Order: sequence, then structure tokens, then C-alpha cells
Amino acid sequence: MYVRALPTTDVNRNTEWFTYPGVWTTYILILFFSWLLVLSVFHCSPGIAWTIVHLAHFTVTYHSFHWKKGTPFGDDQGVYNRLTWWEQIDNGKQLTRNRKFLTVVPVVLYLIASHTTDYQHPMLFLNTLAVFVMVVAKFPHMHKVRIFGINGDQ
Amino acid sequence: MITIPYLTAVSTYFSYGLLFAFGQLRDFFRRFIDWWLTTNLHGYAPICLGHEDFYIRRLYHRIQDCFERPISSAPDAWFDVVERYSNDNNKTFKRTTKTSRCLNLGSYNYLGFGSFDEYCTPRVIESLKKFSASTCSSRVDAGTTSVHAELEECVTRFVGKPAAVVFGMGYATNSAIIPVLIGKGGLIISDSLNHSSIVNGARGSGATIRVFQHNTPSHLERVLREQIAEGQPRTHRPWKKIIVVVEGIYSMEGEICHLPEVVAICKKYKAYVYLDEAHSIGAIGKTGKGICELLGVDTADVDVMMGTFTKSFGSCGGYIAGSKELVQYLKHQCPAHLYATSIPTPSAQQIISAIKVILGEDGSNRGAQKLARIRENSNFFRAELQKMGFEVLGDNDSPVMPIMLYNPAKIPAFSRECLRQKVAVVVVGFPATPLLLARARICISASHSREDLIRALKVISKVGDLSGIKYFPAEPKKIEQTKNDIKLD
Repeated sequence: MYVRALPTTDVNRNTEWFTYPGVWTTYILILFFSWLLVLSVFHCSPGIAWTIVHLAHFTVTYHSFHWKKGTPFGDDQGVYNRLTWWEQIDNGKQLTRNRKFLTVVPVVLYLIASHTTDYQHPMLFLNTLAVFVMVVAKFPHMHKVRIFGINGDQ
Repeated sequence: MITIPYLTAVSTYFSYGLLFAFGQLRDFFRRFIDWWLTTNLHGYAPICLGHEDFYIRRLYHRIQDCFERPISSAPDAWFDVVERYSNDNNKTFKRTTKTSRCLNLGSYNYLGFGSFDEYCTPRVIESLKKFSASTCSSRVDAGTTSVHAELEECVTRFVGKPAAVVFGMGYATNSAIIPVLIGKGGLIISDSLNHSSIVNGARGSGATIRVFQHNTPSHLERVLREQIAEGQPRTHRPWKKIIVVVEGIYSMEGEICHLPEVVAICKKYKAYVYLDEAHSIGAIGKTGKGICELLGVDTADVDVMMGTFTKSFGSCGGYIAGSKELVQYLKHQCPAHLYATSIPTPSAQQIISAIKVILGEDGSNRGAQKLARIRENSNFFRAELQKMGFEVLGDNDSPVMPIMLYNPAKIPAFSRECLRQKVAVVVVGFPATPLLLARARICISASHSREDLIRALKVISKVGDLSGIKYFPAEPKKIEQTKNDIKLD
């Protein structure tokens, strides 16, 4: 089955790959297959596996979306050096389809993880903390906000 | 319009994700190991900020042997590629003295002027003996010879504009001219896939830059209307000047610009048109005069026509053609004219001779033959590739044809296997192209013979089968291509 790739107007090479077809599916498939991987490596219950996937997802995406600033190549002369990846996508426009999708995914993961662990104690606390930080970091009001100067510029 | 099989898109994202993850892992361990090593550079700032060299170190270096291959002969249809080897996993290369004779599908040698030409080369050698290799001066000091004056007059005759000015380097033409034409308070609307020289010039000018969707005149009109209505960013005053920058042939897609619609829109909204004909001058059009001749656009409607001599004329340098007032203004203001060394006289003579051959003024019809041959070669090659099932971009008549590869692992596979079979191709990946859309770009020349092309097709077909890039079903006969579901193996 074929899809059409329309050229985008996004000049930022770091984020324009997210506008092409197939990204959402790849993201969801990676999460699902990592759940299977965790299940087969650790021999744990499905709930613990979802919790591990949720927390690993939180660490990886927080680091790459909200912590690392700039772009991994030098061609754009550093115009994006103060912006994290989340602040760069869709040219800074808030509440686009991509942003809404990326906000929903951690929430859905949280719901799956808490449901499959039956809302038991240590997992519930960690999961809730993770989803709270993730969702607050993606609010439109938090655009370019650095709380207490954490991760600010020198 | 690029059509991707869905599975290929998903697997390409996954491959890049894996490469990225491995790169981060290696960086993490490298930081650990470097902590223990002593260094005497305490207090110095790092050369690269943050992780802006991540892509070069962890992805590009892995396949570095597919790029920057040195050659040791003229870039004709067949040329010698120097063999290199690496002892430290592609970080550094050592050249050997062995060369391999390969078919050249990468040089921008559209009309075959890239090697010995019976009309051009004797004249170039004569001018080298008379004027020597360099003028050793800028145009305004002592660097304008009679050949330079003749060259500018030749260019005006060829392009069809009242006046022209010539520079020594094509990239510098764009990046030095655009800041002179427009400054703060102006608006530049450029196609999203414009060349980096235009992007550089636009950023250096200080004007506001807006981008419109590639080759979509309706989106250009929407952007123009929105920007004219809004005015300058904070003050909302009207724009001082609006320039729309498009290219004749886009070098990564092989597509020809929809110039008539763009010119009509710009006339309606009173914006200037800047046309970059780097790849299209000399290569398309019935007598080689570029995209205006091909699409029937009056050259008086295009305000600034820019082009380079590197591609079809076998030389170096660029030109700007426009009205007499524009060229006079540029000659007084442009730093590339006032301070940069002028184009070397033998190169200028090569351009003059090439133009004379193309226009038929050398007394033979070799120019017309070359133009007919490149058109025939391009159409034949493109049709055959499409019949084999490759996804080939570009319009008919365009000598640039990218073959889509998509997956990052297929980039080095295609390039290395083709080199092993003595066909040299140029592969392009991220960030010169979008992440998903890596491609191998083939440039056809008028000096390729039919046998060369058939041999190239055989090799590309074999390598394509090995690397699995025949994304469309192959056609057994000459029927209209229909895109069905295919089972990817």
C-alpha cells in the first residue's frame, strides 16, 4: 500500500521528518515491540512490563524532547540552539495534530500501565509522577519556560 | 509527488531510530572514557556546541567512503576514480595509486563540455598562454580583461536580457547578491527546496524569510496575500520590497519549476521574481536557453535571472542578468564584484566558446546535436528506469533523475555495489534531503553514448535487485504505468 509524501514548508531539518506519513505508526509499533521485549527478557507480569515501558518511555522522551536543545547538525547556523525539540516542532505553533498525538501517547500508556498493575502501590506512584511531568511539560503555557532556570542558557 | 510504500516508510523510521540510539550509546560511553583521560585544554570552550556534530560523527562517518571520492581525470562520460582504503573504520582514508575506470553518472556535465572539446579547448589554451591562469585582481582594480567584457556581452545575448555581470563562483553569486538586492524591511519568499546558497544569501540579507510549498503556485499566492495583508513583523508597516526566489530545475528532484504561474502571480501582487537557472541554463529548451524558452515565458517578465557556468558550460562561475540599471547598481554595490577575484580568463574563454558552440556560431551544428542528444538520453534513461520498476523523480526532458532509496542502509549498499561494477553514482541522504527520502541522483550527459546508457541500466537493474529498491511493479511491455499493491520481498 502506497502513501503520498507531500513536501512540507518546515525548513528545520530536525523536525520536518515528523510531518511525513508513517511516524505515528512507527512510534506505536516501537512501544508495542519494546513491551514484548521487556516481557521476554525479564519474565515479569504484563503489568510490570508496561510499567517498565512507561518509565523508560518517560526517560527517553523527556531527555530527547524537553531536555536536549538545538539540532544534531551544524548547517542551520545555530538558530535553534535555545529551543528544545518540543519547542521546535511545527515551527512553534501550539496545539497542532502532532503535538496532540504526542501528548495523548504518555497518557494512554499510563492508563494501560495502571490498569494492568491493578493500581497497586509503588508502581502507581511512579507512573503518576511520570505522566504528570510529561503532560505538564507539553502544555502550551510552558513554551520556552525554564522553571528555576533549570536547563536555561548560560 | 513522491509515493512511498507504507512498510518502507515505517522501516526507514525504525532504521534511523536504531542508528540514532546506537550513536547515543556510543557517545555515552565515549564521555565516560574521556573523563578518565587527561587533557590540557581546561578552560577552553568546546569547538562544537551541544550535539551539533552528532550527525556527522555517528551517522555520516559510517558511510563516508561513499562521498568525496577523488577522481584523477577529466569528468567525461568515463573517468578514473582513485581507490582508497581505511584502517580505522572510515574515519580517515589513504589514497592508493590505483584508479578504476568508471562510467560517470554523477558529474553535471550536461552538454559534454567537461572534457576535451575540439572548438573550446584550443581557444582556452591560447587564452591561458596570452592571459595566464589568474587575473590576480578584483574586477574593479585590474581584473577586467577584454575576454570578461566579451563574456558579459555573450551572456546577455544568450540569456536574452539587456545586461549581465559575471562572478568567479556560483555559490558566491547567490550569497553575495541577495543581501545587496534586499535588506531589513523586505520580504523574501523562497521555495521550500531552494539551494543552500539562496538560503545563505537570504539569511545574510536581514530580510524576513517565508517559505512556500515546493512548486505549488497556489500556496505561493496564499503566502503572498497573507504577508502583504500583515505587513512587517511587529510594526505592520507595508513591506519595502518583496522578492520571490525560485529555481529552474531543482537539483535534488529534477523537477522543472511552474514558472508561468509564478510569474503571473508575482505580476498580480507586484513582487519581483528571482530565477536561479543553475541547472537549467544550457540544458533545456529547444536552443538551450533555459526554462524561459522551454515554458514560453518572456524574459522581460523575470526581473533577475541568475545562473552558473559550472553545469552546462564546463567552467566555473555565475552570472546575474537583468536590466541595465540593475546590473549597474550591482557593479557598484556587490562585494563579490568589488573585492572578490574575477573569474580566471581561461575559464571565461571556455564559457564564450561553449556559448558559441551551443548557438551554432562556430560554424557547425554540434550545439544542436548536443542538445538533441541530451534530451534523447534523458528521456530514454528515465523511461527505461521507470519500466524496470524504480521510483524515479523529475519531469520529462530534465537531465537530473533521482532514484529513491529511502532506507539509510541502502545508501551505502547502492553506492558501493555500483562502484564495484564500475559505475560511479552520487547518493544523497539526510540532511541534504528530507529524512525519509534518501536518493541516488543520476545526471545524464550529452557525451553518454547509447551503449553507455544501456550498460548503466544493466548495472543499476542488478544492483537495484540486490538492494531491493524496485518499489513499483516492473512493466513487461509499453503500457501506461498503474500503481497496484505489491508484495515487498
